[in-house]
Amino acid sequence: MTDLTSTVVRLKLSLLSNGLRQSGGRRAAFVVSAVVAVLFALLELLGLLALRGNAHAEAVAVPGTAVLALGWAVLPLFFPTGDETLDPTRLVMLPLRPRPLVRALLAASLVGIGPVYTLLVLAGCALAVAHGAAGYAVAVLGVALALLVCVALARAVATANVRLLTSRRGRDLAVLSGLVIAIGAQLVNFAARQLGSAGLGQLQPVADALGWVPPASAVAAVRSASEGSYGTAVAQLAVTAAGLAALIAVWARSLTRLMTAPDGSTLQAADAGAQGRESGGLGRLLPGGRTGTVMERSLRYIWRDPKTKAAWVTSLAIGLIVPVFNALQGTGSVYFACFASGMLGIQMYNQFGQDTSAFWMVAMTISSPRDAYTELRGRALALLLITLPYTALVTVVTAAVLGSWPRLPEVLGLAFAVLGAMLATGAWTSARFPYSIPQEGHKNVAAGQGGLAWLSIFGGMVAAALLCAPVIALTIWLNLSADGASWRWLLLPVGAGYGTALTLLGLRLAAPGTAARLPEILTAVSKG
Amino acid sequence: MTEAAVRVRGLWKRFGQQVAVGGIDLELPAGKFIGLVGPNGAGKTTTLSMVTGLLRPDEGTVEIVGHDVWRDPVAVKARIGVLPEGLRLFERLSGRELLAYSGRLRGLPGAEVDKRATQLLDVLDLAGAQHKLVVDYSTGMRKKIGLAAALLHNPEVLFLDEPFEGVDPVSAQSIRGVLERYTASGATVVFSSHVMELVESLCDWVAVLAAGRIRATGTLAEVRGAHPTLQGAFLELVGASGRDAGSDLDWLGGGAAR
Repeated sequence: MTDLTSTVVRLKLSLLSNGLRQSGGRRAAFVVSAVVAVLFALLELLGLLALRGNAHAEAVAVPGTAVLALGWAVLPLFFPTGDETLDPTRLVMLPLRPRPLVRALLAASLVGIGPVYTLLVLAGCALAVAHGAAGYAVAVLGVALALLVCVALARAVATANVRLLTSRRGRDLAVLSGLVIAIGAQLVNFAARQLGSAGLGQLQPVADALGWVPPASAVAAVRSASEGSYGTAVAQLAVTAAGLAALIAVWARSLTRLMTAPDGSTLQAADAGAQGRESGGLGRLLPGGRTGTVMERSLRYIWRDPKTKAAWVTSLAIGLIVPVFNALQGTGSVYFACFASGMLGIQMYNQFGQDTSAFWMVAMTISSPRDAYTELRGRALALLLITLPYTALVTVVTAAVLGSWPRLPEVLGLAFAVLGAMLATGAWTSARFPYSIPQEGHKNVAAGQGGLAWLSIFGGMVAAALLCAPVIALTIWLNLSADGASWRWLLLPVGAGYGTALTLLGLRLAAPGTAARLPEILTAVSKG
Repeated sequence: MTEAAVRVRGLWKRFGQQVAVGGIDLELPAGKFIGLVGPNGAGKTTTLSMVTGLLRPDEGTVEIVGHDVWRDPVAVKARIGVLPEGLRLFERLSGRELLAYSGRLRGLPGAEVDKRATQLLDVLDLAGAQHKLVVDYSTGMRKKIGLAAALLHNPEVLFLDEPFEGVDPVSAQSIRGVLERYTASGATVVFSSHVMELVESLCDWVAVLAAGRIRATGTLAEVRGAHPTLQGAFLELVGASGRDAGSDLDWLGGGAAR
């Protein structure tokens, strides 16, 4: 161990222990997460050991290693502040050569809960497929290589993106992380159910392909050696080693560039000019006056504000996942497509809370119920620009998967009625029950306003369901009556018309309340 | 200029037990550069919020150029520009987009908004950063873009809450230049501050606020009275001039290291 390597490893250890010394809460959190991680790793290790001799052991162990590596690649992007030694710009003033620095940083990243967890799981993966002396020998080498690949991958990704991670954009990305995990969980859940019904054998082709991708290739090499295909094993180990070398080379290069180039804070955003031009085009397509101005700002915020974007992506994803995935599994009904319009309609709720205290800029320009009506209508129109085509798309896809084309018009009509009811109740509750959305962290309600948020969203949803009752009743009646089938297409114009009427009525009712309560709304949304 | 720009009568605001503003009567002359001064917590922000219609008073009336703020918002909101303290802007817009948004929201024609925005961005030295998102602006740049948004519709009365707080000297000078040009044309500026030197060099009319009440109003000379500086007059008015730390800390100082 060279001097630098031991120094950096000791630095990492002191950073860890100093972090723990700061507060009892942090110490407890560290101990708990360490215990949980090790227990979890041991459970996985036992599970993988139980697979020994099973025909599908490789189908689990090889993709498992790949998933582990994926985690290493993605996590530093979402938790950039987790490891200060990951930020090489802190070492920029020291006279260090890239080669020893890379070696030292690689060694330091092997210290921590994550590497221990990874080591245990990798060992499980290797042992699940290892047999005979050659197999175990390759397993030792393979696990070491795979662990280094994981760590080098994390370092390479983090270093390549360090400008992003230390900037405002990086913090914006962190707000989205919870969302990626939530949607990822939905997909994993779906995949697990598919596997449960179809069996692990399905993964075999995936495992065969990943067997040549580092670091999964290291585990595949263990399997090849155990089966006596020594040539394949050596080739797979070589692929892993080559992958490790490539990662380290990429990392060293971006490290050198990072430590010799100017700091990110002194550089201006280069794409700023392009951004301005592109949005000018958007403005031209929208109507003039306050309506277009409000729509343009709302649409920009959906894309640029991390909180708004997270809420939208959640709604769009869940609105698609619930009807379509249920349909794919054959358990759904085409009526589930209304879920999409319901989920998207939620975005109309707490409109002014989404503005944060910047609502004062809106309040200063609202002097009459007419102004408030135009403001709310602009917001509803911006929302409809996305929700109308999306609702139609989800409904068509669900109908296509289930093959129930005859029901498409009535489901679309029902979905539009639901959307209209959500917009109407959303506009009204925006004016009556505004609450703050904190801009930092994962919370969507400011302290003390949780009850208000629940009341407005759930009360609003119940009210929306009641408002839709006539259309629902008509749907049921047309489905039960003898010659109803020939008249069910009528539900499309009826639903769409009813939804439009509800929206206009909701906006009309919300406008006077908004105009009369501007200071109260501003106070309510300024707590974040 | 016989009419008062702002006329406040019996203004009260309580937050729970605490009286933030305790009965303010105030008449601010039109066409002047007016400083609202007071220590932290004096009620400056609360008063300005109520005067501009962003906070509802418990009691009292506010008239701006003869129009009641709460009964005639159409007339008032078109005539005032506001730069509040502690409230956000639409920070996910670029500087230019923010001006375009706020001008069009006020019903100005698009071409006119763009022309005025270009000029304001130039004068306030923001042209280079006009396509950057406001969230990435420094404090000084935020104050300047907020000022530009407040001036865009050419208001009669401009209310600025701590416009120089946290602003570097260069930005402060460009803000100052714009404000001086604006008042020279006969418009009224009301701004709050606790930096007396600044108020003294900028304002021709001063109102001193402490503990939610007006302690003195008038021209700079009237409020200053016998004191050589506004600072001295201010400390006496808010009852802080007697607190001389001299005798208690007699051990403090260079020389005898003990």
